[in-house]
Amino acid sequence: MENTTNIPGINKRVHPLKIVMIIIVLIGLALFPFISENRFYISLINEMMIYGLLAMSLDVLLGYTGSLSFMHNAYMGISAYVVGLFLIHLSPTSLWLACFAGIIFTSAVALPVGWVQVRTGGLAFALLTMAFGMMFHTIVWKWYDVTGGDDGLMGMPNPDITLFGWNLGNSGNPVTIYLFTLVIAAICFFLTRRIINSPFGAVLEAIRENEDRASFIGINVRRYKLLGWMLACMLASVAGALFILYKGYIGPTTMSAFAGAGVLMMVLLGGMGSLWGAFVGAAIFIYIQDYISTMTEHWEIFLGLVVIFLVLFLPTGFAGLGEHLKRFRKA
Amino acid sequence: MGGTLGIIVDISLNSLVLSGVFLIVAIGLNIIYGLSRIMNMSHGALYAVGAYTGYTLVASGLNYFAALIIAPIIVGAIGLLIERTIIAPMRKRSMVYTLILTYGLMFFIDGMIKYVWGNKPCFIDLPAFLQGTMPILGTEYPIFRVATLFLIAGIMGGLMLFLSKTRVGLILRASSTIPEMVSCLGINMSYVHMGAFVLGCIMAGMAGIIAGPLTTIDPLMGSEMLISSFVVVVIGGLGSLRGAVIAAILIGVVQTLAEFFITDLAMVIVYILMAVILAFMPRGILGEGKFE
Repeated sequence: MENTTNIPGINKRVHPLKIVMIIIVLIGLALFPFISENRFYISLINEMMIYGLLAMSLDVLLGYTGSLSFMHNAYMGISAYVVGLFLIHLSPTSLWLACFAGIIFTSAVALPVGWVQVRTGGLAFALLTMAFGMMFHTIVWKWYDVTGGDDGLMGMPNPDITLFGWNLGNSGNPVTIYLFTLVIAAICFFLTRRIINSPFGAVLEAIRENEDRASFIGINVRRYKLLGWMLACMLASVAGALFILYKGYIGPTTMSAFAGAGVLMMVLLGGMGSLWGAFVGAAIFIYIQDYISTMTEHWEIFLGLVVIFLVLFLPTGFAGLGEHLKRFRKA
Repeated sequence: MGGTLGIIVDISLNSLVLSGVFLIVAIGLNIIYGLSRIMNMSHGALYAVGAYTGYTLVASGLNYFAALIIAPIIVGAIGLLIERTIIAPMRKRSMVYTLILTYGLMFFIDGMIKYVWGNKPCFIDLPAFLQGTMPILGTEYPIFRVATLFLIAGIMGGLMLFLSKTRVGLILRASSTIPEMVSCLGINMSYVHMGAFVLGCIMAGMAGIIAGPLTTIDPLMGSEMLISSFVVVVIGGLGSLRGAVIAAILIGVVQTLAEFFITDLAMVIVYILMAVILAFMPRGILGEGKFE
């Protein structure tokens, strides 16, 4: 399916080795819970995939549209809260309807926000993502009656995952939710790849390279930026639905500015403008975070230093490392 | 405590004080942005550093007024160090990189603040004659807040004179409009960028030490002020100094009113106001880049 990316005019031939690699990684991930009995690693990889999806959604915005969102996790959080509230208050069994509600509600929130942001231009866009992100964080944090405030949303029921009448298992089971996350993340990945490699993606990249020139050749820059923003927010809302199904809990810290910086760092680690890089970045980040936060409480200092280091010395991230090495070998 | 009039006077004075603090932070941001097109995400953290150094200086027995001068200088020195080491090499790269870079810097500084001063809130002790209250139109208002208002007015007046009357101010104003021309006249733009960054940092530190006694000093104050100053800067128009004045007063008044009537969700009102203004005036109230 990923061979269909050769659209005339867009020179993006996929290396066959890359396809083989992707398939091997996918199969490896799918078999992992049956090989390893270690619950800890299963849930760690599950978290990596969810954050990878979130990082990929931010990468669509940052790497392809060239707009920066400081608090993209806010949209994941909104979706997670909506899915959770739907399952708790409306119907504890209808999983798909809840996820659908989460995505629709998040898009409905993101649309007016994006509309305002897109009109203000590049830099103000970035500053506004922060202001609006803080707004959502404040609402979730202070609206105690609905969201549970500081305590977060608790008492999530575990619905069964069903598809066309089949019961695939309960979402409370770590292995089931792991495989469910893997399938959804993989579908989102290939779908996003397809969108990004289409003429639509080329327009986004043109806007990233030079906004003025893009508008000179007749591209409605604001509209395409808004579409890019909506795509990113919808992907983030899918990640949010997966997040609450996996954790069974969501609190305001998931939507904080600090967590947003973490997502930004995942994209930087993986390399801007590389979709698979975002997953790699998320995996590295979650692993390091898990490792370091047990040792020191001053995790912030470390995060700041690594971000500074990455921007100064390795702006292409992990995905660009290969290129660096190639150039190094030639020189 | 006297009646409705007293409450009105209280609210209006409080909102003026808040506006003043917003203004100094936002002007600092705008000076840096207007001259070198860098949006300093660590500005809020530097503001917090100003407040914390002020606290340490006063706690170690120094006069508050001496701290008022020394703390901004320390923050300016930190700004100089930051500019020379990591901001200057980034000048030629895209703006997204400097945004992310200074964002990382913000977390680094915030983390260092927590490391050095801990998580507990601090308070700056004022000299005795500033601690009392004075009667204004039927309400007892803290003397320190009144003094703060005069101080902020003094700082703004001084800055205005500096920009309009001195030679350095002339160079700064010229560089904000046609930097190429200024560098053709034999002025080293690298120093102009450096000066702008340090001046902005000094403003942040000054706002910190002024706001320190008004509120409690805690590790969160930096990021809260960063968001507020973004709101002010974006509403006023990026890089526009006069726009910042209007926006700071507007946001100060609205936030004080909102905090008075609905305590918890006050900031949400401010954000919604911002969204409404930007929906009609996407470039802010006065548009971008009027540096005077």
